[in-house]
Amino acid sequence: MSAERVTIRQATGVAGAVSILDRFGYRLQRLPLHLVIIIFCAVWVIPTIGMMINSFRALPDMQAAGWWTTLFPPHGFTFASYQQVLAIEGVVPSIGYSILITIPATVIQLAIATMGAYAFAWMNFPGRNLFFIVIVGLMVVPIQMTLIPVLQFFKFVHLSGTIPAVWLAHSGYGLPFEVFLLRNYLGGLPREIFESAEVDGAGHSVRFLRIAVPMTLPAIASLVIFVFLGIWNDLLVALTYLGVSPYRPFTVVIAQLTTSFGGGWQFLTAAAVMQMALPLAVFIFLQRYFVRGVTAGSVKG
Amino acid sequence: MAGITPDQIITAVVAVVGVPLVLLGYIILGEQVIEKLPDRIQEWIRPYFWALPAVGFATIFMIYPLIRTVIISFRNSADTDWIGWANYQYFFTFPDTLTSLRNSLLWLVFYTFFAVFFGLVIAILVDRVRYETIAKIAVFLPVPISAVAASIIWKFMFDYQPSGTTQTGTLNALLSVVHRDPVAWLVNSTTNNAALIFVGIWTATGFCMVIISASLKAISSEVLEAARIDGANEFQIVRLVVTPLLWPTITVVGTTMLINALKTFDIVYVMTNGAYNTDVIATQMFSQLQHSHFGRAAAVGVVLFLAVVPLLVVNIRRFQQQEEQR
Amino acid sequence: MAEVLARRRSRVVALSLGALFVLAACGGGGGSSGGGGASSTDVTVWTAWGSAELKAFQDVLKPFEASSGIKVHLTTNRDYAAQIVNGIQAGTDLPDIAPGPSDPNQVKDQVSKGALKPIETALGDQFSAYVQNTYPALTTPPAGASDDLYIAVVGGKHYEEMVKTQVKGLIWYNKKVFTGQAPTTFDQLLAINPSQYGASKLFCAGFESGAASGWPASDQIDNIIMRQSGDQAYTSWIQGKTKFSSSAIKQGYQTFLKEVSAANVFGGANTVLSTNFGKAGDPMFKSPAGCLFLEQATFITSFFQQDFPSLNLKAGTDFDFFAHPSMGNSQYDGNVNGFYDNFSMYNDTPAARKLMQYMVSKDAQQIWANDGGTLGSNKSLTYTDPVFKRAADVAGSAKNLLVTAGDYMPSDMQAAFWKSLLNVTNNPGSLDSELAHLDQVQAVAYKSS
Repeated sequence: MSAERVTIRQATGVAGAVSILDRFGYRLQRLPLHLVIIIFCAVWVIPTIGMMINSFRALPDMQAAGWWTTLFPPHGFTFASYQQVLAIEGVVPSIGYSILITIPATVIQLAIATMGAYAFAWMNFPGRNLFFIVIVGLMVVPIQMTLIPVLQFFKFVHLSGTIPAVWLAHSGYGLPFEVFLLRNYLGGLPREIFESAEVDGAGHSVRFLRIAVPMTLPAIASLVIFVFLGIWNDLLVALTYLGVSPYRPFTVVIAQLTTSFGGGWQFLTAAAVMQMALPLAVFIFLQRYFVRGVTAGSVKG
Repeated sequence: MAGITPDQIITAVVAVVGVPLVLLGYIILGEQVIEKLPDRIQEWIRPYFWALPAVGFATIFMIYPLIRTVIISFRNSADTDWIGWANYQYFFTFPDTLTSLRNSLLWLVFYTFFAVFFGLVIAILVDRVRYETIAKIAVFLPVPISAVAASIIWKFMFDYQPSGTTQTGTLNALLSVVHRDPVAWLVNSTTNNAALIFVGIWTATGFCMVIISASLKAISSEVLEAARIDGANEFQIVRLVVTPLLWPTITVVGTTMLINALKTFDIVYVMTNGAYNTDVIATQMFSQLQHSHFGRAAAVGVVLFLAVVPLLVVNIRRFQQQEEQR
Repeated sequence: MAEVLARRRSRVVALSLGALFVLAACGGGGGSSGGGGASSTDVTVWTAWGSAELKAFQDVLKPFEASSGIKVHLTTNRDYAAQIVNGIQAGTDLPDIAPGPSDPNQVKDQVSKGALKPIETALGDQFSAYVQNTYPALTTPPAGASDDLYIAVVGGKHYEEMVKTQVKGLIWYNKKVFTGQAPTTFDQLLAINPSQYGASKLFCAGFESGAASGWPASDQIDNIIMRQSGDQAYTSWIQGKTKFSSSAIKQGYQTFLKEVSAANVFGGANTVLSTNFGKAGDPMFKSPAGCLFLEQATFITSFFQQDFPSLNLKAGTDFDFFAHPSMGNSQYDGNVNGFYDNFSMYNDTPAARKLMQYMVSKDAQQIWANDGGTLGSNKSLTYTDPVFKRAADVAGSAKNLLVTAGDYMPSDMQAAFWKSLLNVTNNPGSLDSELAHLDQVQAVAYKSS
């Protein structure tokens, strides 16, 4: 054989061997990557799963051994905790009240917030910046500080202990954040579209309703989810304005299910799982809109 | 306990449908009136008209109470006398409140840093694997859960049984597998703040990750390719190209996390109620309220508000820059 | 195009005006607030009770509703005290009946604002019978005083009616494990060797209780102080007149620390601080037994039974108690720690009065006694549970039924007090700094600002 052919054959052989090693080495290099990701996922998922499993166990079992022991026989799964929670008087209606509170409150505040955000984003007026700073600063004010003046206000307008009162309270507390987010988003819309519409003779109401709102829908959609979940998960506001009314929502009822001296974990697992079910379902099914909206609002500039 | 009456359902439906409609009418009718006014008056009146509902709500539910609160912070709890700075003095000299201040600082630093850092790291890492969506869902899962549910979840994780007996808490069980003594995570002062802050990080990382990930995807691949061709390795690319490009997003997310850190209440309240030196500003304020020390509670609230003002100034500036670019 | 827009616009306007009217109409009608007014058919009651206690109360209410036709709207609300305070301040509706405030400052405050209505009015001519039938310590101010804020006697009038009693500071044990004789002094108690009975440690304890963690510890130290230093010192301490760093209180803390020292308590400080009070006694019933004794009040019996359903624990045969041993000063041995559940009337309505009268009637009281886990406030009830029978004797024969100290301190003092007990259990070396800190809190807390 000529020296050339030997060399080529050798070269091909070596090249072949190198490419296998290459791929293997590449996978090996990727191993830490996968490991790190898997560890993160584990830490972020396993605790929740652990509690869910615990909700299907009897109380003595929960106190004797951790949730992982149910993975091996005897499993000891039972619906006892759930049955107990649902059998308690007032629990089932309270789930209905949660819904009755959450949906209108969400709608009301988003409608108002969108209007307000449009004004702050696209209209120039004296004091606009100051107003905006104030409204946004309110995002941090702890709700406890507003309790007594607002309670007095509700008494004044004869709404104490009613569900509409909670709609208004949630709206008042939620508006700052929503106006903040929506103004950022609306402010990022291209000026030209509005200007050309104005040139075409469209007044502000048309520009708002037919241009701004449709273009803001992704942000509004994601806000709907945020706000909805926020109110569904809320304890403090409902506790304050409905704490002793028969119209208490689910979160308040769960919180009050412990004995007067504390303790009572058993209830808390099953009840917590039930309370979590709706937000998790919302997230899983609406995940795409959720994510799209969230990022659209924040990834400007 | 009452069941839901048809009356209530009707009211709810009316609210859901009626309020947007009423606002619609408000806008349309209002604009019709405004447009008939002379131009200069229009320009002046229109913004107030549009912003009125939002500002009205904010005033009744937040601005007026806040002003009342600032006033109360200078009065005694029975609201009968002015006592000047006494409440603030109490706040900055009493050991309990000072501890809560220190702890809130810990939250500010570590919660914010790690939530954003983990969010960033995960966003960058999962970008390179095929199972990205599943991984992102996994990390995001704690976000829609209420803080109370998260606290219950982690109370089980941190559960402590005397050493030598079967451990029921996941973390202590892992420790016993490697033959180490169980740790009372929530009681031990060396670990408890870290434990609580970690629960906070756990609930917030997914939020940061999702937002950063979207920004990440928006980085054009050409830029990355160019860097690779120039010979940069992956780590350098992340450090010198990706991170600077992501910086605006990181600041937005970071500011949100800072505000959250200051407002933290549920987690600390449910897991330890501030015991063993885990108190934070919000739980401290809650205790003052429970003890009917309205003046002191008000002072704490005001301090909290002032702490946030710098963050807002940053946000406003950014918005103004954004506007200039339009 | 403009015309189309205009037409659509006016349609929308019409629709929205219509919606506005409908909204206004409906808003006026539906969703009215829960009732008030001088009702003779309905009464609203708030309590903090949950689980077993709530069920017992519902058992008590059933015959009342059946025979009187009055509907009781019962709400369980752990934050009722704060809500009532807020409600009085804001002028909103209050429940008809709810437990009275335990903070003596609050009692004074609410009486002066007219929020609390006198029990004399509620019970009418049944009032004297009520006083006669109830444990005297619960209704009578100490000799010579016309007022006693701890039992809500202000200006000679009563503002709380007592419905249940518990005795605290009882030492519980598993009869099958501890077969020795009950010690009569604290030193004898400490000298017992647990391994003689097959147990690892002398005491069990559990101080965790959510937001109220630390209260079981305060019970333990209260029972020490009242027997070590006497009722006068005890009361003066509650009133903020004795410092925490004083020798009497400091001695109390030091004795308390012996009860929770690593040598004496099961699982050491970490376990004590992480275990919920209801589970604290569980090691007594395991084999091998973790400890011999648990110091707790009478209500703990139902917790033993619910945690070990398979063992079918019976009072008297499986578990029993002996009274808190003497601290060495025999003149203080008659001091017994008890607490009581009470109700106050916030709205004077015919229905509320009827319910107040019913709750202290022999029938209602007996139902509470029968449901177990508590003593009634009535002295002459029959208890089938041997443990409660003996507990009733303890309550009846006590020279002074003293209240739980923390409950009658200003609430922030109590919170600091509880936290201090948790902290010294965690770190006994911090005793002096904790006491100094408590003095600081005490100096401010008792001022009515």
